[in-house]
Amino acid sequence: MLTFARRAFIVLWKDLLVERRSKETLNALFFFALLLLFLFQFAVGPDRERLAGTLPGLLWLGFILSGLLGLGRTFVVERENDCWEALLLAPGDKSAIYVGKLAGNLLLMLVVEAILVVLFGFFFNLDLRGVLPGLAVVIVLGTVAFAAVGTLFAAMTAQVRARELLFPVLLLPVQAPVLLATVKATEAVLLGEPLGSVAHWLKLLAAADVVYVAVGVLTFDFVLEG
Amino acid sequence: MIRVVGGLALAALAAGLVMAFGVAPRETTQGNVQRIMYLHVPSVWVAYLAFAVVLVASITYLVRRLEAADRLAHASSEVGVLFTGLTIATGSIWGKPTWGTWWTWDARLTSVSILFVMYLGYLLLRGMVEDRERGARYAAVLGIVAAFNIPLVHFSVYWWRTLHQPPSLMKPGPGTMPGVIVAALLVNFAAFSLLYVYFVAKRACLLRREAEAA
Amino acid sequence: MADNWGFVLAAYGLAAVVLLSYWRFLARRERTKTHRARPPRARPGVSDPPAPAVSEPLAPTVSEPLAPTSGHPRSKPASRPPLQ
Repeated sequence: MLTFARRAFIVLWKDLLVERRSKETLNALFFFALLLLFLFQFAVGPDRERLAGTLPGLLWLGFILSGLLGLGRTFVVERENDCWEALLLAPGDKSAIYVGKLAGNLLLMLVVEAILVVLFGFFFNLDLRGVLPGLAVVIVLGTVAFAAVGTLFAAMTAQVRARELLFPVLLLPVQAPVLLATVKATEAVLLGEPLGSVAHWLKLLAAADVVYVAVGVLTFDFVLEG
Repeated sequence: MIRVVGGLALAALAAGLVMAFGVAPRETTQGNVQRIMYLHVPSVWVAYLAFAVVLVASITYLVRRLEAADRLAHASSEVGVLFTGLTIATGSIWGKPTWGTWWTWDARLTSVSILFVMYLGYLLLRGMVEDRERGARYAAVLGIVAAFNIPLVHFSVYWWRTLHQPPSLMKPGPGTMPGVIVAALLVNFAAFSLLYVYFVAKRACLLRREAEAA
Repeated sequence: MADNWGFVLAAYGLAAVVLLSYWRFLARRERTKTHRARPPRARPGVSDPPAPAVSEPLAPTVSEPLAPTSGHPRSKPASRPPLQ
């Protein structure tokens, strides 16, 4: 168990180090998030009322679009310098790699989401002070689900031709229930309602998290073979 | 053997048609449009059956690496997508005269649509991975993820539609349906199930022949 | 309430078309395979029916039925596509 955690941590640490040195993913994603904001504003128009109604949905669309970009690249990075082959040859349980990658992706997404929330608050003039804890809970629950399946599918599609097409096509339908839950929960939270009022959505998200991570851990070995 | 099943399926389908049009009465509230349900409901049932089979076959493949399991998963997913598409189409055609609109995001249509795109993606994955062994593995993993997603889809869509909102047109629950209608439904269930078995068997056979020839 | 037989017929007609088309797809594929299994002769490429989302790679025109293996062969390193 301990070696598992250690190996997962090593993968995570490696990814963090690579990212810290190059900062390419984070910078690009930050810029992308900013652009999304512009897009949403242009698409929805200046009417404040309409904007307020669509805000939770737009926020999660932003998260998902950024996530698609960020997650899709998770294993592409490994393909340089024969890192992929090294990963395959690593002895023992390959699920540790999954957990490490998942943790890294989770961190990355959470950082981008935090930035997006701040930007949203700024551009759409929201007062987020009271709702931040609740919002954080919803965001973390939803992001774990997204990252769990995303990491698994990223590994699957890394070696397929037309990876950039297949990855979103596979991931988005599976994430539909998560999207429904998070948007509804975010809606409630932004309106100032207590988390208890959306307890069923939160439980669904928690269940999704457990299911996705479990399936990921159990099946990652099969994805990474050969 | 397969031909026997095929023959049975054909006979059952004919019986189903007779039941749907000849025996079953004109429904009181909806009129004859309700007869579309004899297509729609069995289709949905077969779709779920197909995807359950995909789940079992996928797990079997990963654990035991039986080629036959992979072929079964492939065939069942194809037939499943077929019937899922049919479910959506018949549901939509039923919806137009009943609700006045071709499409509505009600609980069942939405769930089934999500199912449809999930397994379409599955077929797409199968088509895009050249290496057969890898394709089988990846598809199996996806089949498992998709199947475990189904209950999540159901709950989320159901809550999405019914909470804080008056329930949309209720579909008739089995408890309130007259016996003749239930009987007609059951016959069509059987017919569609037989058709499913026939299609999957033939498709899996084809896959085996293609694998042997390659 | 109007009877809307048009819709009923549309639904049943659509179902019939879809199911029949799939059946014909299966039947045609089967015929192609049976022809290919016979002793190889020079055949121009047989036109395939429009296949649904999945299209399996066709067997080569000249092929001998191989003994079926019990499991999928592991892909050999040489046969793997080179990593980009």
